[in-house]
Amino acid sequence: MGATHNSINTGKPITVTIDGKVCKSTFGKTILEIARENDIYIPTMCYLTKVQPIGSCRMCVVNVEGVDGMILSCQEKAVDGAVITTNNEALFTERQNIMKLYDVNHPLECGVCDKSGECDLQNKTMEFDVDQQNFTARDQHRPVENWGYVSYDPALCIMCEKCVRVSTEITGDEALKVKFGGYGSTIINVKKEKNYASLGDAAAVCPVGALVSTHFKYTSNAWELNKIPSACPHCGGGCQMYYEVKRDRIYRVTNEYEFTNLCGAGRYGFDYANEGVSKDAEAFAKAVEAFKKAESVIVAPQISNEEALILQKLKEKYGFKLVSHEARAYQRFMRAYSEVTGKHLYGGDLKRLSESQAIIVFGSRVNNDAPTVKYHINMASKWHRARVAYMHPMEDAEMQHIVTQFIKYEVGSEEGVAALLAHTLLEHAELPQSVRGILDDLDIGNLSAECNVGEEELDALKRSLIKKHGFSLVVGSDLYMHPRAEQIAKLVALLETYAGFNVICVPPAGNAMGLSLICDLDDAAEGYTVGYDVKADFTLSALGNGDLDMPALNQQEGTLTTVDKRVVPMHVALPYGGYVLNDIANALGLRAKYTIDYTVQLPEEKGFVKTAFDDLPEYFDAVGTEHRGYLLNAQQVESGCELDEIEEIEAFDGAIVYRCDPVDQFSPFTAKAKLLEDEPVLLGSSQFAAAAKLKEGEHIRFEVDGVVFERLFKIDTDMKGTIALNPTFDMGLSSSLLSSYRFSRLVYEKINIGNNDE
Amino acid sequence: MSRVVFSTWRDEFIDNRGKPVDEWKESAFKLPETYNADTGSKAFIGWDGVAIFDDDIDAVELASQYAAQYQEYSEACGRCAPGRWGGRILYDLLDKIARGEGSHEDVSHLKEVSETMMATSKCEIGKTVPKPILDLMEHYKGQFDTCIDAQQPSKHYGGDTSYIAKVTAPCTDMCPAHVDIPAYIEGVRDMIFTDSLAATRQTMPLAHTCGRVCPHPCEDACRRANLDEPISIMELKRIGADYETDHALPWQHPFEVQPPRNDGKKVAIVGAGPAGLTAAYYLGIQGIHVDIFEELPVNGGEVAVGVPEYRMPVEKYNKDIQLVLDLPTVHIHNNHRVDAERLKEIDAEYDATLLAFGTRLSKKVRAANENPKMGGYWGAIAMLDKVNLWNKYGIGSPASNELKDKVVVCVGGGFTSMDVVRCSIREGAKKVIMLYRRDEKTIIRNTTYEEYHEAVEEGVEFIFHSAIEEIFDDGEKITKLKVNRFELVPDPDGGRPQLQKIEGADFEIECDYLIPAVSQSADLQLLPEEWNIELTSWNTILTNGRDFMSSRPGLFAAGDCEYGPMTIVNAVGQARRAASVISRYIYDGKVSLTDEEIMEDHLNKLKVYDKNEKITGWMPGLPRAVSEKLSVEERKTNNKEVNLGFTGEEAIAEAERCMRCYYISMVAV
Repeated sequence: MGATHNSINTGKPITVTIDGKVCKSTFGKTILEIARENDIYIPTMCYLTKVQPIGSCRMCVVNVEGVDGMILSCQEKAVDGAVITTNNEALFTERQNIMKLYDVNHPLECGVCDKSGECDLQNKTMEFDVDQQNFTARDQHRPVENWGYVSYDPALCIMCEKCVRVSTEITGDEALKVKFGGYGSTIINVKKEKNYASLGDAAAVCPVGALVSTHFKYTSNAWELNKIPSACPHCGGGCQMYYEVKRDRIYRVTNEYEFTNLCGAGRYGFDYANEGVSKDAEAFAKAVEAFKKAESVIVAPQISNEEALILQKLKEKYGFKLVSHEARAYQRFMRAYSEVTGKHLYGGDLKRLSESQAIIVFGSRVNNDAPTVKYHINMASKWHRARVAYMHPMEDAEMQHIVTQFIKYEVGSEEGVAALLAHTLLEHAELPQSVRGILDDLDIGNLSAECNVGEEELDALKRSLIKKHGFSLVVGSDLYMHPRAEQIAKLVALLETYAGFNVICVPPAGNAMGLSLICDLDDAAEGYTVGYDVKADFTLSALGNGDLDMPALNQQEGTLTTVDKRVVPMHVALPYGGYVLNDIANALGLRAKYTIDYTVQLPEEKGFVKTAFDDLPEYFDAVGTEHRGYLLNAQQVESGCELDEIEEIEAFDGAIVYRCDPVDQFSPFTAKAKLLEDEPVLLGSSQFAAAAKLKEGEHIRFEVDGVVFERLFKIDTDMKGTIALNPTFDMGLSSSLLSSYRFSRLVYEKINIGNNDE
Repeated sequence: MSRVVFSTWRDEFIDNRGKPVDEWKESAFKLPETYNADTGSKAFIGWDGVAIFDDDIDAVELASQYAAQYQEYSEACGRCAPGRWGGRILYDLLDKIARGEGSHEDVSHLKEVSETMMATSKCEIGKTVPKPILDLMEHYKGQFDTCIDAQQPSKHYGGDTSYIAKVTAPCTDMCPAHVDIPAYIEGVRDMIFTDSLAATRQTMPLAHTCGRVCPHPCEDACRRANLDEPISIMELKRIGADYETDHALPWQHPFEVQPPRNDGKKVAIVGAGPAGLTAAYYLGIQGIHVDIFEELPVNGGEVAVGVPEYRMPVEKYNKDIQLVLDLPTVHIHNNHRVDAERLKEIDAEYDATLLAFGTRLSKKVRAANENPKMGGYWGAIAMLDKVNLWNKYGIGSPASNELKDKVVVCVGGGFTSMDVVRCSIREGAKKVIMLYRRDEKTIIRNTTYEEYHEAVEEGVEFIFHSAIEEIFDDGEKITKLKVNRFELVPDPDGGRPQLQKIEGADFEIECDYLIPAVSQSADLQLLPEEWNIELTSWNTILTNGRDFMSSRPGLFAAGDCEYGPMTIVNAVGQARRAASVISRYIYDGKVSLTDEEIMEDHLNKLKVYDKNEKITGWMPGLPRAVSEKLSVEERKTNNKEVNLGFTGEEAIAEAERCMRCYYISMVAV
């Protein structure tokens, strides 16, 4: 492959002078970016660091020596040698006039506006001394619109278009658009019926009170809220967030919206605390006894790294089996993976994903499984016109505008698909003899038929990668719980090691990644079992319905491990009056005053850094570099790749159910959140209905891994095929008992529910 | 050139007010002093100034109506603070003065807001709208003062003057299809690629095609060239089309497809090339019944069977074609040759007929012993038909059967000849020579820089300043050519340099094939003789170039059969106009243009682009993006698409270089 094509010379070193300061940077950066790198202030109203320049406010105009007129610093790239002035009388006058224009007919309702106190319009009006108004225009009547999660007041809107950019470039819901029309131009929601919770991320960037989260409206003044920095524990993304708290109540969740993103679950799924708990000494004593006699401890992944370490230490001390199904599956997958790569973590990260020109998604319904990963795929699609191949047994209509090639494979054939991928993409790679031998010996015709993936589809995939730079591969939970997970892991790992793919093995929800790194997990529980957020002989529960209460993650200090391989701190948003796991551990002979005393003890051999909790940084610098916790160090592990022959593919005929939660639902904790209203129904196409002999509105009972589901069946006309989505978020303490491959054949009985009520 | 009372157009200053008529100065510009045949024009106001034709003009209302048009212009504005609020304030204040309710303070606020708009607006429309308004406020100050001081309405306030406005841009004006280029570029900048595509399709249905193989005359009228280099306009067009195809989205129509009218009216189109498809699209989308008659078994005309796969993948062209054919009222009849008899039947059966059959006869090179029947003599059209029918559709047999290891000489200099030589390379010819009468610079101007350089890279040998004098054959096939060489001799009188034959510089080329690609002509056999259809001196169908009706009522012509061999975009532009005229003609039997079209023609005559204009407010020196191409080795033995298109980063950077040179102009009638 020749040199990377770069016709626009980005990256060339340049030197510019801004307000007399000599600034070294690289070509491709805008004047504003270089100014910010050098702590030089240029006022803006529409600039949003995380998206492409918008250029609607025109406040950021500057003068460049030898260039006539005012130059838009947010969009114009600095050229070598440019001498730039960011402020003078003429620039001030124009900026002041723009502020006067923004203030024309802006309703004087700051007293009741949610944004008051943190409003860019207020701030800049004062900054530019606008104390009188020279301009007037006829006002227009424009009513407020309630779009569900967010509400829009066009009268307050300054048409900066930040929200539209977030909806387009970041979340990819593409619901918000600009309706052109001069003075009457406005923001419209073209997908109102979807009520995307991701629009909360668009509302987050609104500089005024025009687009706001509906639930927060008129509930509190912004300045009365106490911002508690934390990390979202729901999907494994660990996104940065603040709980905004007043008098022991979370009023809303916000984030460092200039640089980071937060999906609907993070933003609206905050009220899951285990409240009203006091110390129940009797239950506590029973819990300690239960641990002492436990043969097994089974745990849901919604725990902190520190809690995971406590359990590991107790396991070492008491010898019980420590079980967490999803984390265990992920652990085994990653161990096999690292046998090929020689490193204990996957090599990929989200930033490189967003910079990719070609992406393959394999074995994950990624829009549901990991919204932040989907956002980064969307960024690549928008910014880099990325080719996105989506390989899955089910199409996802929500991904159509991002995906350029949908490759459907048979349920259960993931190993074959992984082999086909490796065979296709490693055609010219230098591989170890043994691997090359196995790949060359593959019966491609047969595999292709078994997986139902056409050779022409693979050819098209290969063709679409021609001359592309930056390949990413995103794999997910379908693979971790597959019976052949370890073999699949090795095949996928080949692409990281031998084809330079930026591979992300998306961790299952919660802190499964932290658990998988910290704990020595066992495959199955046996004998007397203690459960932590899992139904067992003795149950500790942060959901409030166990034998001893535990704090939820927004009531605890601790750290999470994220998809970006970062260890990030969480802080206490709400008080908790009961016992915590550390109390039990201390009663069992461990010794730590606080749970976070374990932060510094997290295992270095797994990449954790010996840093005390209170020393973990939590900020973004002026150009948006993340300083939050730390990145795990990739550890060398012994490598030596032994591939097996591909196993016969088991055919899954008839109606199939796929364990998959609605977007923004991940666990019993998100299920508890009042703002996230999702119905736990079995959702399938009419084709599925026919295959399963089901009618819309019927109730059925079926079992997966011993967990009994009672479901109302609904038809989704956007769906195709004979696979239905079966959510688990509503299953409470049972949801973490699920341990098998995500797809299963549907064997059910019809039940009568609700008929009696009518 | 134009008679004006007053003009500030493009830095001229003419004030004939109060002067005797014989002392009047004329404007140097082709201003619309009459609107159309029946309507005069009182004033013209636009981005570059104002011209008054009628001394009795109401300058205050003119200014306020211009500001109002800016307000109504809703396609792009409202997207920057100065333009959004400033435009409204301009109008409110001007109308206040015109109503007789204004104050002198309003005038100073007007000036203040104008300054801010001119200095900081996002696009040229916001930057230029205040200019003629300030001109009027300065030079017709008396009228403004009267309104304010006497608190009375302007002199013809609310009278019967009509104001007709049109938004354009230099690139849009230069584009024969008048594509709203800034809008589709903005779609790329916004990363709302569906909007980009819909903007293109307002006037250009063949987005894949003209995003790949258009010679982009627009780029010669790109104001960015006044600053550094023109925007890569054409390549940005492809992005929306590729997006729709890549994501298998439903068709992004620019307007809602109207249900079939089923009113008995129907239009026939002869030829399914770019012109025929375009007319069918804009008629069909209105619900008008269209039948297309196509002689070939495949659709797309010369772009399908002429333009090679490596430049225009048929898979992509078929998307453009399918967009049209999926309209419920458009029907195509393939393998349907229309001859004079059939055309008479069609003419009788349909309410209007559009001829769009192109120019499919290769012209001769005019050399001694030129015999088109001789072996080895292969007209470019026939040769490309063979290559493309096989490569794209598997019809016929590979041209490599004829060309492999052969020596091929092509005479030409335009796009068709480039296609001939580059296809010959791909079909395995041993040696490929292009003979061209003029020089390298001219061939680049006639085609594109990329096209010429890619041909050179692939191994085509260009011999400039050369022409065939005589063709030799052995009775069965051509054996060699005698070629003259020429040189450019400067005219001692300072006129154009003349091509003169260099004595004694003749040479011979042994060859197997001679492929003339000098030009094509229309096959006019289908015109019934008794119709006496008027023709141009080029033997194409004569129309007035504005409504595209031939000398026979109800018979229209567009594209190459009207204009002579020209570009795809020219055919599209003509056909869209013809479709518009036809859409009215079939109901009222009249040939008419819309105000939009009349203004389009006025502006085109006036010329929108000013190559001497100085650009302010933009950072010069940002490089024009160039898309990646397959290397010679990767491309010359196959038909893979050579141009890989922009990366996302290049596309956005390129879109950000666009200065959005929208202009609004208005005529008072």
